[in-house]
Amino acid sequence: MARFEYLEARTLRQAISLLQRHGDEARIVAGSTDFLVRWRQGVWQPKYVVNIGRIASLRRISYSRRLGLRLGALVSVRDLETHPQIQSNYSALSAAAASFAGVQVRNLATVGGNVCNASPAGDTLPALLAFDAQCKIAGPEGDRWVALSEFFTGPGRTVLQTGEILTELRLPPPLPNTGSLYIKHSPRGAMDIATLGVASVISLEGSGRVCRNLRIGLGAVAPTPIRASSAESLLWGREVTPELITSAAQAAKADAKPIGDVRGSAEHRQDMVAVLTQRTLDRALDMARGNPMAFEMQRQFAIQAAF
Amino acid sequence: MKKPLKLTVNGEPREFFVEPYFSLLDALRDELHLTGTKKGCDEGDCGACTVLLDGKPVTSCLVLAHSAHDSQVTTIEGLAGQDGLLHPVQQAFVTHGGLQCGFCTPGLVMSAVGLLQENSDPSVDEVKYAIGGNLCRCTGYSKVIESIMAAAQEIRDGNG
Amino acid sequence: MPEHIALGKSLPRVDAMEKITGKATYASDVYLPGMLMCKLLTSTESHARIVRLDTTRAEALPGVRAVITGNDYPDIRFGSGALRDRRIMATDEVFYIGEAVAAVAADDEITAQEAVELIDVEYQPLPVVVDPLQAIRDDAVPVHEDLESFEGYGFAGGGNNCTLLDADRGDVVQAFQDADQTIEETYQSQPINQGFLEPMACVANVEPNGRLTVWASTQGPYQVRAQLASVLDIPLSRIKVIAMELGGGFGAKLRLAFEAFPAMLAMKSGRPVKLINTREEAFTLNGPRLETNIRLKTGVMNDGRIVAREAYSIFDVGAYLGAGPNAGVGHALGPYKIPNFKLRSYGVYTNKIYVGSYRASGVADMTFAVESHMDSVAHQLGIDPLDFRSMNAVEEGDISVSGARLPRNGLRETLQAVKDRLGLPKKMGEARGLGIAMGEWRSGSGPSTAAISVNEDGTISMLTGSVDISGSDTSMAQIAAETLGVTLDQVVVPKRDTDMAPFTGPSGGSRIVYSQGKAVQMAAEDARNKLMALASDRLGVPPDALACENGKVYVQDNTPQELTLAQLARMSLTSPQGPIVGNASLSSMPFAPVYNTQAAEVLVDRETGRVTLTRFVQAQDVGVAINPMSVVGQLEGGAVQGIGRALSEELQIDSETGRVLNPSLATYLMPLAVDMPEIETILINVPTDDGPFGARAVAEPPGFGPPAAIANAIYDAVGVRIKELPFTAERVLAAIKGQQPKAGFIDIEALLSGENPLV
Repeated sequence: MARFEYLEARTLRQAISLLQRHGDEARIVAGSTDFLVRWRQGVWQPKYVVNIGRIASLRRISYSRRLGLRLGALVSVRDLETHPQIQSNYSALSAAAASFAGVQVRNLATVGGNVCNASPAGDTLPALLAFDAQCKIAGPEGDRWVALSEFFTGPGRTVLQTGEILTELRLPPPLPNTGSLYIKHSPRGAMDIATLGVASVISLEGSGRVCRNLRIGLGAVAPTPIRASSAESLLWGREVTPELITSAAQAAKADAKPIGDVRGSAEHRQDMVAVLTQRTLDRALDMARGNPMAFEMQRQFAIQAAF
Repeated sequence: MKKPLKLTVNGEPREFFVEPYFSLLDALRDELHLTGTKKGCDEGDCGACTVLLDGKPVTSCLVLAHSAHDSQVTTIEGLAGQDGLLHPVQQAFVTHGGLQCGFCTPGLVMSAVGLLQENSDPSVDEVKYAIGGNLCRCTGYSKVIESIMAAAQEIRDGNG
Repeated sequence: MPEHIALGKSLPRVDAMEKITGKATYASDVYLPGMLMCKLLTSTESHARIVRLDTTRAEALPGVRAVITGNDYPDIRFGSGALRDRRIMATDEVFYIGEAVAAVAADDEITAQEAVELIDVEYQPLPVVVDPLQAIRDDAVPVHEDLESFEGYGFAGGGNNCTLLDADRGDVVQAFQDADQTIEETYQSQPINQGFLEPMACVANVEPNGRLTVWASTQGPYQVRAQLASVLDIPLSRIKVIAMELGGGFGAKLRLAFEAFPAMLAMKSGRPVKLINTREEAFTLNGPRLETNIRLKTGVMNDGRIVAREAYSIFDVGAYLGAGPNAGVGHALGPYKIPNFKLRSYGVYTNKIYVGSYRASGVADMTFAVESHMDSVAHQLGIDPLDFRSMNAVEEGDISVSGARLPRNGLRETLQAVKDRLGLPKKMGEARGLGIAMGEWRSGSGPSTAAISVNEDGTISMLTGSVDISGSDTSMAQIAAETLGVTLDQVVVPKRDTDMAPFTGPSGGSRIVYSQGKAVQMAAEDARNKLMALASDRLGVPPDALACENGKVYVQDNTPQELTLAQLARMSLTSPQGPIVGNASLSSMPFAPVYNTQAAEVLVDRETGRVTLTRFVQAQDVGVAINPMSVVGQLEGGAVQGIGRALSEELQIDSETGRVLNPSLATYLMPLAVDMPEIETILINVPTDDGPFGARAVAEPPGFGPPAAIANAIYDAVGVRIKELPFTAERVLAAIKGQQPKAGFIDIEALLSGENPLV
């Protein structure tokens, strides 16, 4: 705990200039849900706290079938969970958001904050990766775009430079015949950090047999959230068979490089990658084949609760 | 250094001085002495500090007080009517034994009020989900859930 | 039988309005003018000599009003258990990571924290022992070099052994020889935190007359007063403890915790001082339960009769004996007739946070072992576990471990009720299982007092010294109301402190309604007798012709003669006997056991090991439920604590340093609403002879059975026996895959003689 000065930016420009002025002594907050915890623990000791939470332009959600989903960085995790267009078109993301902490924290926490804190276990991150999110970054030199899969550089570390702010996430429109599912492995049905989490998004060719597109996002099994690339490449453009799904699940396990901690050993995490990848693929495939799953059921997978 | 903060708390405009690093919870408790909102962990993990911020339940320990300026805050002290009549959620907790030691109670009540404002006909599962961020060590939750279901019925019956 | 006016009614709590409106005042809600905030410096070493402790820089910080270290206190050792083994604040040596080393009082919290960070402390590390199975050995590194000099030390067991409890009966050696089969198993329970939602808090102030006032979050205000007097070396009469609203304690707040820190700072600064634990401190400063290793050996006949039991248990007590093995020995038999037994329970020091009490300390650990073991034995014999329990269950007239004769009880009724509710025996589906466990406790005893005044308007003031714990004030007020024939709303329950209320034992161990409630009943009867005597005098009829009901004393033969309690109270002011006040004191209550049966249904995920509790049923003999809503609420809450113990809760402790690795509510995983099925609770009513209106204790037993019931259900579901708590997905999956758990079989004799105990 160290005293700091509170600054508030009303526009993006103002925010960037405050960050430029104070450099490494400043820290951005929006929902402040992570910030206040880390500050009380003495981990983060900024001299200046720049609140960007009031910049209205960063709160927008828009969806179109042509352009896909645009999420302002300040969109709350609760909005990800409850927004009808997100629930119907990016259901694994909504379900992942539903598994995030509790309602009270989801009302505060922002999607931009979850991305920028770059926790390997961030609840929305495997799904955002699996939906191929692109990050719009504003900075003193103007805007730039970075794929989310390139955004993380380590635990709590990102490509953001001093003076830069993540402003928007864009998710491409879903292809036809797509299914997605997120499964979080954790002891409790809420208020829990993922022991690991797996999100799979699969799209099939019109025939319903060949995999047109597949992305698998893994959480809490590497220094950053990662894509299970070798698992993905096993299925791309090929006819999907149960054997191939099992091989992909095993490949995902090999893609994972977990550590052991209070939530589980490295071995357990690695083993679970295969199990959960298999399960997300099986069910996402079923959905892609035209058998929708009720959101309540998807949420149940996401939170693994007792009901 | 303390700076002025303007909030509407339980319907009443308040302007007072608050340290830049204070949470909304600290501001309510230490400055306004509204101690009904409880600090159980100060880490956003227990839900005892839940208040409504612009109508939505939030963990007030995770809100920077100054970031809430010009907002509407409702705490447990602001739920009962002027005549002292309890909110249906409060009354149901009393009648159905939804509280024991009482420390988690204000937070649970605020979460329940937040839920019932959005959905006055929740299923038991929806109630559990809505209070998923509130720890209670005394009740085991059964009577809390029973209380919230009963309050929802009251509200639907027009007694809220 | 007349209609009851208050007894057996599910009435709202007497404190419900204050609590539901946020007006109830907990210790952290106390704000006094000029109040300072206190922060603690705690040890970063597991075991070390303090070679330098310099508070100069902290004292120089503007806004700092006082800094204390262990040297500010009188050189006094005190203890919570049998041994005087600790100082209130470390002086020259620290014994665990998290132990208090210094404290600061400053104008605000952040200044106090800054000052703490300015205290210079230098440690010289000393050898550390963390594993209790190492610590108990003769050649172990000593936690306390001077153990044998501790006042109260009487057990020369060697190593870091500090206590031994034992019980023997019959000829165990012969009985094992004669037994058809012998089954031997070792179980291990985990370190666990009580999980009270209200962090410990305290405000201390020195009054102008020199007396110390302490606003505390405690279950035992008189115990805090006594221990404070002892560690501050001031007369007890100079201390007033005000027990504030208690935000959960479950045993953790039975004794002096850290009230002596703000007290000393208040004495030093002359200002009120407030200390509120951070949640991290709630996990690292004092008083959880630590691991217990239990070895059970049972001799049985092929027809299912148990003939012998040998039980060794090793309780890790951490750095100090905050609370010991306690009930560990007595519960090694379970509620079963076992004619020959040898029971040993050891307490052992390690360099870890020291233990406190938690909802019948030790019994939940022991019940997990005993009730899991019962299933193992039943399966070995090929007998249904429920039938096996039934055929060995104790009965009225049997002699308990402690030598008491078992009075009438509802043990069998609880078993039958669960059997009926679930339709046992029952075949479960794939990966689904059902398990049961039984539990036993006694209705708590100890010194209890009460005073009942009849006010001039006919209302009743009930004065006791006990802290409300899970609705006990309401139950006691209902006892008073029923005895005096008034409705509950006519009973006034004042907030009290150690100056105004008579001494009583702490609120813990399921003793309040049974023992303290008995004192209330006796005091109310005393008041009633005085009312009747006065009415008899004024109405000119003998007392036995009178009844005291519905707020009045009247002649029972229908003649329209009556006096209201208000009239009588006013008359009493000028009567020869004076105002109506009933009093009662007692020191102990007769043995009244409590039994329950609990059943769990689970679904086990064979691929992930995740256990989902799908149904939970419990039946408990409560004697008579004074307030059924309150009783059921306690049983539900207790069961969920036990379920947390079974499935997710574990204070994870570093095996090298003893450091608590998960000191937060995000990592210490207590159950949430989303994790729990509805808890189905059945009340069995077999009244006691002596409890108020036949009531028994309620609170402790529901937490005992869930670990074993769930372990037995997992066995039923997937055929693996998990002998270590908690049943995490990882642990269950490892068992399903046939991997060996850490604790196999502990050879305690070998261990005590210095050989490798793990076979």
